[in-house]
Amino acid sequence: MKVQVLFFGATADAVGTREIEIDLPENAKAENAFAQIIGKYPALKQHSLLFAVNQEYAGGEEPIQNGDELAVFTHVSGG
Amino acid sequence: MHATEDQKSKDFFELTTEPLDVGAIARRVVPETCGAIVTLDGFVRQFTKGRETLYLEYEGYEPMALKEMEKLIKQAREQFEIANVGIVHRLGRLEISETSVVISVAAPHRRAAFEACEWIIKELKRVVPIWKKEVYAEGETWIEGESLKTKGKR
Repeated sequence: MKVQVLFFGATADAVGTREIEIDLPENAKAENAFAQIIGKYPALKQHSLLFAVNQEYAGGEEPIQNGDELAVFTHVSGG
Repeated sequence: MHATEDQKSKDFFELTTEPLDVGAIARRVVPETCGAIVTLDGFVRQFTKGRETLYLEYEGYEPMALKEMEKLIKQAREQFEIANVGIVHRLGRLEISETSVVISVAAPHRRAAFEACEWIIKELKRVVPIWKKEVYAEGETWIEGESLKTKGKR
């Protein structure tokens, strides 16, 4: 299945793009998706990361469905 | 402007790249039953830890940021005796002293408004997916906030 992955701010700079699509096996969890993303972009390891699935903060156990919107970003700094 | 407004109340939460009019935002949250509004005007600081900032760039994960702002208003209402809340965060390039965030809380009595406003800005800085890049004469850096797990409750 295919999912979209979004990057913002420091993670967009680290990977050099704002959006990618990745292929995941059926029944993948968020931890599988994020391991694949970090494997593809080791520069992300320099940051403390947060993950979101469909615009909600997600832990590793979150099940992923075809077409989901994932996001990888650093701790927020608005305000 | 990306805006979502609950028509049943005067609550609102928005993202915009336009300059923010603090007074106008504050006036939008006032119902007849209230005796106080507390408004936070957060703006771009020139010096941080002795280093001079030239300007800031804010970036947001906009749909998620709006969802998280809406949740903050709901959670604030559950904890404090308040009437209405308005939150507007600016995105894009901001110059020194320009307003980046406005939080206005209307309440029958001031104490709850002060407490809710303080709680909302702390939580906003912890959970709403917006990032700031500080640009200096000698370079730039994305600011990375504190851990979600170490502060407050979700």
